This record gives sequence, C-alpha cells and structure tokens, in this order.
Amino acid sequence: MSTQTDKKFTGNPREPVPVPLSRANELDIRQVLDSEGNVNGNISDPNLSEEEMRKFYEMMMLVRAIDDRGWKLQRSGRIAFWIPILGQEAVQVAVTCALDDHDWIFRAHRELAVWLLRGNSLEMMFAQFYGAEQEPLRGRRLPCLIGSRDINLISSTTQVGASLPHAVGAAWAAKLKGGKEKVLIFFGDGSASRGEFHSAMNFAGIHQPPVIMVCVNNGWAVTTPLDRQTAVDNFASKGDSYGVRNVRVDGNDPLALYTVTKDAHDNIEKYGPTLIEAVTFRLGYHTSSDNPDLYRHEQECELWRPWDPIRRTRLYMENKGWWDQSKEDALITLHQDEIQTAVTSAEAMDIPGPASQFDDVFAETNWMLEEQKARILSEVSEGSSDD
Amino acid sequence: MTKMTVLEALNAAMAHELEHDPDVVLLGEDIGIAGGIFRTTQGLQNRFGKDRVIDTPLDEKGIAAHAVGMALYGMKPVVEIQFSGFIHDCIEQVMFCGAKYRWVLGGEYSVPMTIRAPSFGGIMGGIWHSHSPESYFAHGSGIKIIAPNTPQDAYSMLIAAIRDPDPVLVLEPVPLYRTLRGEVDVDLPVPEIGKAEIKRPGADVTALVYGPLTHKTVEVAESLSKEKNIDVEVIDLKSLIPFDIDTIISSVEKTGKLVIIHEASQTMGFGAEIAASVQSKAFGYLEAPIDRVCAPDVPHSYRVGDEFYIPNKDRIRAGIIKTMEAVY
Ligand SMILES: Cc1ncc(C[n+]2csc(CCOP(=O)(O)OP(=O)(O)O)c2C)c(N)n1
Ligand SMILES: [Mg+2]
Repeated sequence: MSTQTDKKFTGNPREPVPVPLSRANELDIRQVLDSEGNVNGNISDPNLSEEEMRKFYEMMMLVRAIDDRGWKLQRSGRIAFWIPILGQEAVQVAVTCALDDHDWIFRAHRELAVWLLRGNSLEMMFAQFYGAEQEPLRGRRLPCLIGSRDINLISSTTQVGASLPHAVGAAWAAKLKGGKEKVLIFFGDGSASRGEFHSAMNFAGIHQPPVIMVCVNNGWAVTTPLDRQTAVDNFASKGDSYGVRNVRVDGNDPLALYTVTKDAHDNIEKYGPTLIEAVTFRLGYHTSSDNPDLYRHEQECELWRPWDPIRRTRLYMENKGWWDQSKEDALITLHQDEIQTAVTSAEAMDIPGPASQFDDVFAETNWMLEEQKARILSEVSEGSSDD
Repeated sequence: MTKMTVLEALNAAMAHELEHDPDVVLLGEDIGIAGGIFRTTQGLQNRFGKDRVIDTPLDEKGIAAHAVGMALYGMKPVVEIQFSGFIHDCIEQVMFCGAKYRWVLGGEYSVPMTIRAPSFGGIMGGIWHSHSPESYFAHGSGIKIIAPNTPQDAYSMLIAAIRDPDPVLVLEPVPLYRTLRGEVDVDLPVPEIGKAEIKRPGADVTALVYGPLTHKTVEVAESLSKEKNIDVEVIDLKSLIPFDIDTIISSVEKTGKLVIIHEASQTMGFGAEIAASVQSKAFGYLEAPIDRVCAPDVPHSYRVGDEFYIPNKDRIRAGIIKTMEAVY
C-alpha cells in the first residue's frame, strides 16, 4: 500500500525531548536495567534463568531480523506493505511470556512475536505477508496483521483502538462464564485518544473483568507526537480516573516488563484489571508508506539508541556470562537461514482466487452472495487484472 | 491554466479558501507538519499557522464533533478523515447532529462543514483503506455528497463544498491522487453541486459512474466502440446528493439502456437509488433491465480486492455487453 512518495521537507519538527527512561524514578517508570544493562533500577531483577533469558533475547533478535527482511521485501516490491517494529521488540516478547498460552491476546499492528512465542511457524507468518491462500486469514488482511484462533491471537480490526472494549467484553464474558482465560490487549498512545479507550476503562473499572490493557507508548502516532495527542502524557495515570489499577514501566526493559505483567496477571483476582503503560520508542518508520524525515529529527532516534532493548538485554546477558560474540554470530546466521526458508516457502504458495472473498461473510452463504459470486466468476478471467 | 495532480489541486483549493476566508480552518490527524499521510495539506500549516491548520488527536468522532461546534458558531471547518474506512466513527456526529441541526433547530442555525474522505480502492489497502462510504451517508438527510475525479473538479468542487452552507462529504479519489495530472483553470466559476458531466457522448447505452472508475469506464467505452461498434455514453455523476436526474434521464431517453457502475458493494449501493429513480421517470424508454456493476456484498480483501472486488474492465465491459444483448 503506497500513500506517498516525495521526500520534500516542509515541516519544522519540534526539538527532541529527553528520553523518559533516563528519568525513570522521577517519572514513576518501573525499571530494572539501566541503559548499559546493569541492574540498577527501582524494582528488583526477577532473576530469570539463563534459559528464560535466552528465549527473550533470541526472540527479540528474531523479530528484528524478520522486521529487517519484511522491510526489504516491501522495498523491493515483493510485498505491498510493511509495519516496522524496530525498537519495540521487548514489549511484545516479555509481555507475552508473562501470560499463559490459553490467555487471549488482542493485538495492535506491531506484535509479530506473539505468533512465534505461541508456537506458530515462521513459514505461515511469511505466508501472511505474501497474502497466501494457505495462511489462516487467507490473504484478506494487510501484511503483518497476523492472527489465529489456534494460538488465541486476535488480529487488529485496523481501526486503531476499536478493539479495546472487545478485550474488556471478552474478559467480562470469561468472568461471567467461569472461563480460566485472562485477556490482554496491546494498543498505542494514539489509540488512547479514541472514545473506545475511555469506554473500555470505564467498563473495566466498574465490572472488574480479568483484563490487562497494555498501552505501548512509542512517542508517536504516525507524525503526531505525544504533546499533540494528549495534555497528560502519563497514560497509566489515566486509569486513576476510572478506578483501574495502573503501572508505568520501561518498555525497553524486558525484565521490568515481565515483572510488571506477571504481577498483574497472577494477581488479577486481587487487583482486577491493570492498565500498563510501556514507555518505548518507534525507531523506525510508522509504516512502509511513511517518511519520518518529514516530521522528526534524526537526533531524537540517536537519543534513544542507547536504550535499545536488544542492546540492553545483550549487555545484561554478557555480564552474566551467558552471551558472547560467537553465540551472536551463530544466532544471526540461524535466523537468516530460517527466514530464507520461510520466504521461499511463502513465494511458492497460492494466491487466493476471486471466489475466496465470498467465504466467511456469514456462517452460511445466501442467495444474494451466491448470485453475486456466480456473476463475478463468469465475468473475470482468474488472475487477470487490468492495471 | 496550470498542470496539477489531483493532490495538488486539492491543496490549491484549500490554500485559496484559507487565504480568502478567515473562517476556514482545517482539522485532521497528521495534517500539519508533514501535510497528512497523503501530503494533501503539505505546506499549509507553515503558511497559515497552527491555529488554522490544526493537528488533532487520533479521534475521528472527536474531530467531526468539534468541527460541528465550530461550524455552528460560524466557522467553516474542513475536516480530513485519514482514510474513509475510519469515517464511521463520525456517523452520529456528522449524520445525526451536524446534518440535522438546521432542521431540528428550526432553520436558525447551520453547519457549513466539509468532510474530506480519501476513498476508493486500488492501492492494495485491504478492508479499511479501500473504502467507499457513500451509502452510509446518503441514506440520511442534510448532507451533500460529491465525488470529483479530475484535477479541475477536485479544485472547483472542493471550493464549492467549503463555501456551501450545509455539510458536504467529499469522496476523494485516492488512487488518482498522484497518478492523474491535468490542466486546472483556477478562474472558472465555482460549480453548482448537483451537476453530472457527459464524459463521452454515445447513442447505444448509458454508462453511469462516479469516482476513479469513471476513467476505466471511458477506456472500456473506447474499446467497445472500436471492437464491437457499441457507442457508449459515459456520464460522470460527480455529485450524489443531490444527483443530476435530468442529465441521466435525457441520456436514457436517447439510449434506452443504463448500466450503473460503482466500487461500493451492491446492496443498498447508490446504484439502487438511481435505478429506482430512472425506472419511475423513464420507464417507457427502457429497452433492457438496468444493470449494476459493483462490488459484491463482502469486504475488500488485501490480496484480491483490487482485482476482483472493485469492478475491473472485464466486468464493466461484460455489464455493458450484457445490457446491449438483453432482449425483451
Ligand atoms: C480509527 C483509525 N484512524 C486512523 C487510522 C490510521 N492509523 C493507522 S496507525 C495510526 C497511528 C496509531 O498510533 P498509535 O496508536 O500510537 O500506534 P503506533 O502506530 O504508534 O504503534 C493511524 C492514525 C487507523 N488505523 N484507525
Ligand atoms: Mg504510538
């Protein structure tokens, strides 16, 4: 999907703001690691095992490698669209790892890690990027908007923020029906401006369903910085007005994210819903249709680079003696190979035909759809396009 | 006369109105610094300031709602909805407040707001970035709907919309934004909303269309004339509410056959209203059933939507031929 192409600069981006993570105590942000990966924060190290830390690290690295490859596939015209993750890998990995597999996750648009952490394949992920007939959503959704019932991952509806009340409603239903699942939703700082955010918080405060709402505050919503989005850029504190427990956490610190999410999850009977604000930064483009040079100083990204979640985690693991350059090199090679296999497999898959769009409109089709389908199939030669 | 793309023409129209009418303000997500995700408002915030080209929070309903308030007070807000797939959050505010205030307040107030809705498919945008929202708005009352699809119309009709005393929804042709360039005469008189245009005169069958499909339909008409000796009259509707019944009826009286083409899905699509009006006003002239070539009643799919959801040339052609061959 292409929306614009020009590079002409017209705006006057605001001056870069200091990285909030460097002022964690002052800003009430829970943190374990400093920018150099030392345990130096305001909450204690959860002391995960080497195996658990490797899982975090390797998944963050894999997500970054996928992001890099996806971007290149888009730029070379092999897929039509891409939604970058660069710099936000920690939230999706650590938060997902703090849940049980039966818990439901409603996603926003950048969380590819959930798919892999819950055991779905890289091949099917790339099949989704290519819009293949074989992937669970059958080529219906833009690349990156993966989801699948077998792993309790609900793809975003695309209207950002719109699914917040759906997550609250699903959790509420689980409570009413005695289900064991808890529900978690990822949404962005921009999405918190929509009415649905306020509605979801209000209902959640009243009915106390087992829901965790993770506001991934990455500083931007397309070209809009926080100060244009809200006068109170502490998103967690918005929970106070609705009686929803809330926590602010370093979104580039997997240890703090894991601690905070696990606590909210394991104590949900006691706490009720929690609003977690994960403070992070979108280092990359909004999407492949975007061009940050038009509205953001590169210097702002430079300020954030030391706080890169992968860098901090690697330093932590190196300090523990769990990681070194040879392991790093081997991991990168392994990921490249796995991704290449997935690309090759996706490229060999089928493209959906015109008939497939008529499936799943209702549980059962009806004469109206059948008549329209028959006519379209008789009028188009499959695979032919006129522009 | 200057050559402009559709995008540049829209930008020029807004600049012109901002310059000449202090009541005009623009509101929308991301419209300021970078000029919107399509760059339609590029440069306007620098030129007219942040109080007139206003970046809003990500809240379509809020944007529309606050614009209604501004318009009630006497300003002329021009709202950009980032993609028309996200416009439905505004329906209560636009349709049941903004478009009704004049009536419910006994004609004492008006809401002269313009809503720019980047619409239609063709950029592999999937379900919400390829959307035709007109029917949701046409079913109400109190809002005009226009669909310019050339640089000249984009320029002139957007100005007409901004100056109109009532709410106007502008369906902008996303796939043509940068691809279509043409002459724009900024000195032409501001057109009346409600006029169609005959794009290609013809004697055998009338093809009624609006939005980007207009161009495809003209191409199909040209090839049918060469290959099959079928002389298609192509009418670009340009305005849906109100629509130009006179131009349609006189064409149908001449050709006796009507094919309506649109990207929106079939059931309750705008074609249904036109077909109903034509059969009641020109029944005696019809020589074949009125046909509709439109999207099916399913969502637009990312992978196949642009090819098989939006009517392609094969389907437009088939619809016209079928109507020509219909025997009574
Ligand atoms: C209701 C709605 N309006 C506009 C858009 C277009 N859009 C897509 S993502 C986005 C920004 C979202 O910002 P945020 O919630 O902060 O998430 P981020 O992209 O930063 O991850 C916008 C405006 C949309 N998808 N849905
Ligand atoms: Mg954001």
